[in-house]
Amino acid sequence: MIDAISAGLLALLTPQAVLFLFLGVIYGLVIGILPGLGGVVAMALLLPFTYGFETAATLALLLGAHIATIWGDSVTSILYSVPGSAKGLALCFDGYPMTKKGQAKRALAASATGALFGGIIGAFFLALCIPLIRPVILALGPSEYLIMALWGLTVIATFGEGSLMKGLTASVLGVLVAFVGMDVVTATPRFTFGSDFLMDGISFPVAMIGLFAVSEMMKLTIKGVPIVDRTLVKEESTVMEGIKDAITHRWLVVRSSILGLWIGVLPGVGATVAGLAAYAQAVQTSKTPERFGKGAVEGVIAPDATMGANEGGGLMPTLAFGIPGGESMAILLVAFMGLGVVPGPDMLTKNLDLVFSMVWIIVIANIAVTIIGLGITPWLARLPSLQANLMVPIVLSVCFVGAYATRGHIEDVIVAAVFGVVGYLMDKYRYSRANFVIGMVLAVMIERNLHISMTLYGNDFLLDRPIALAMLMFVLITAALPFIRNWRRKKRQLASGVTAP
Amino acid sequence: MSRHAQENVASVLLLAVFIGIIWLCQDFGPRARMIPLPLAVAGIVLTLIQLVWHNFGSTEELQIDMISVEAPEMPAVEAPLERITQKKSAWRSESGAYGMVAILVAMVFILGLMPTAFLFTAGYFLLTGYCRPWQSLLYAGLLTGSMYLLFVVALQMQMYHGLLAPLFS
Repeated sequence: MIDAISAGLLALLTPQAVLFLFLGVIYGLVIGILPGLGGVVAMALLLPFTYGFETAATLALLLGAHIATIWGDSVTSILYSVPGSAKGLALCFDGYPMTKKGQAKRALAASATGALFGGIIGAFFLALCIPLIRPVILALGPSEYLIMALWGLTVIATFGEGSLMKGLTASVLGVLVAFVGMDVVTATPRFTFGSDFLMDGISFPVAMIGLFAVSEMMKLTIKGVPIVDRTLVKEESTVMEGIKDAITHRWLVVRSSILGLWIGVLPGVGATVAGLAAYAQAVQTSKTPERFGKGAVEGVIAPDATMGANEGGGLMPTLAFGIPGGESMAILLVAFMGLGVVPGPDMLTKNLDLVFSMVWIIVIANIAVTIIGLGITPWLARLPSLQANLMVPIVLSVCFVGAYATRGHIEDVIVAAVFGVVGYLMDKYRYSRANFVIGMVLAVMIERNLHISMTLYGNDFLLDRPIALAMLMFVLITAALPFIRNWRRKKRQLASGVTAP
Repeated sequence: MSRHAQENVASVLLLAVFIGIIWLCQDFGPRARMIPLPLAVAGIVLTLIQLVWHNFGSTEELQIDMISVEAPEMPAVEAPLERITQKKSAWRSESGAYGMVAILVAMVFILGLMPTAFLFTAGYFLLTGYCRPWQSLLYAGLLTGSMYLLFVVALQMQMYHGLLAPLFS
């Protein structure tokens, strides 16, 4: 284990890894600070560059960018009351009032320091979980992984946002899309319509570019790109005050980070909920809750610490079981596939050093984001407006060149455009794109483990594997839970309606 | 078309997709269709439930809140000083976005990737009036130059040159 920890760090000390981490952080900060572009778009655009480089360096680029977008998102919430993405909403409640009182520097610094502490606690949790979870992972076989993948598909729809039926339908569609191409087990071309190009299947990075980046640009074009302005107020605070605030409220940081870890581990519960839950928790535990909403620094520290810790928690099921908890983790899984890294037992045996590299990346990227963030805070505090118009043609051009660059097939440009339209329509009609992507990623796991289980244990493999059978029962109960709850509620309502005079 | 009707159309289209998948699965062997076929059937069932509940009830209430925090009253978020650069009717801006993507794809096929990046970026800035003509050309040039350096020089990728390329070679 100690060897893996040091090997993980050493892999990040190469010039390429250091450069990629630095580039990822800068890129993530720029994307995060621009309104309308979130961490998922940032990661999707990076996918074409994940081939042909050192594995640790590639992960440093992706994770570094993702971590930097978390704080970048907070900046627009605090300065302009415009969340860069939905998860930054909680920061508007107290961050913006602080800016209006001339405390933008303090709010930004407290937010960056809170995110740093949260990120480090998240990384520590991930490192601590690995030796604990390793025996469990190694004890599971293909049948158990098959059931776990099925659970991953259903639970995200059950506990995620929006309609359950639409969520499940999106998952099913995602799995079916992943089956386009030559079936490696039976050598049958599926859903290829005689096209040689489709025989290779749909490229996951190209699909991600379309679903998230192209569709988000379409959304920006349709809604009109916001230009956010503010009236500059005389600044009356310092960066140091914000840092001291985060240290003074250390127990709030710890509580918020633990909440972030818990939410990160739960599949389907996104960072949007995390930020709001952290804010609610900060209000409830405060001795002076009446200050909240008027510029209380705790209302800035708590959501950022939670979102910082969320990443460490989210990586745990992704790395250990191959079950991504959300969009960003699904994109990370796609990158793993491109790099030939398989989550699950292999990850915690053959690639343990890579897991610790990720732990180190979280720590180093958080430190880098905080140092750069604190450095640019005085400049950000004086920034009167932000214009995201510039991004639409630039991101679209990069999307299509990136889609082509993934495999060198010009047809991938069409695939990116088609997935862009599909992603836009899914978003419009609230069919979860996250579920679709998670379905695509889990499809491989489902089919491979089903075939292996049938080969090893026969068609009735579930009867030979009691743990898998118990897990299947759990999946069915989880899937039925919303219906049972709904039925009980209606029954209660009916009973109270009958008894009421 | 009302939002309600649009949702119904989306569900019917999904049903057609799932039925198409079942039909295509008939050509596969038993092992190759072992997962797609039941999934497509599940897709039909889910879409039908969605369709029925959308018209006669609500599936939103089936959602489970995993972390039911006793949330205090959230403060109202102050409206930012936000200007929207364009305000058109919904269908016009939506067709504009589809058209933009279609034009971009067509340009890539005809002109190749790098000329398209330059022309599309410059054209977008000029048409939206975001910046002056010389600035549009400068930004587009900088973007295309950076992409050329990254993809062609650094990553040594062979770029697609478009259907018109033979005319110039």
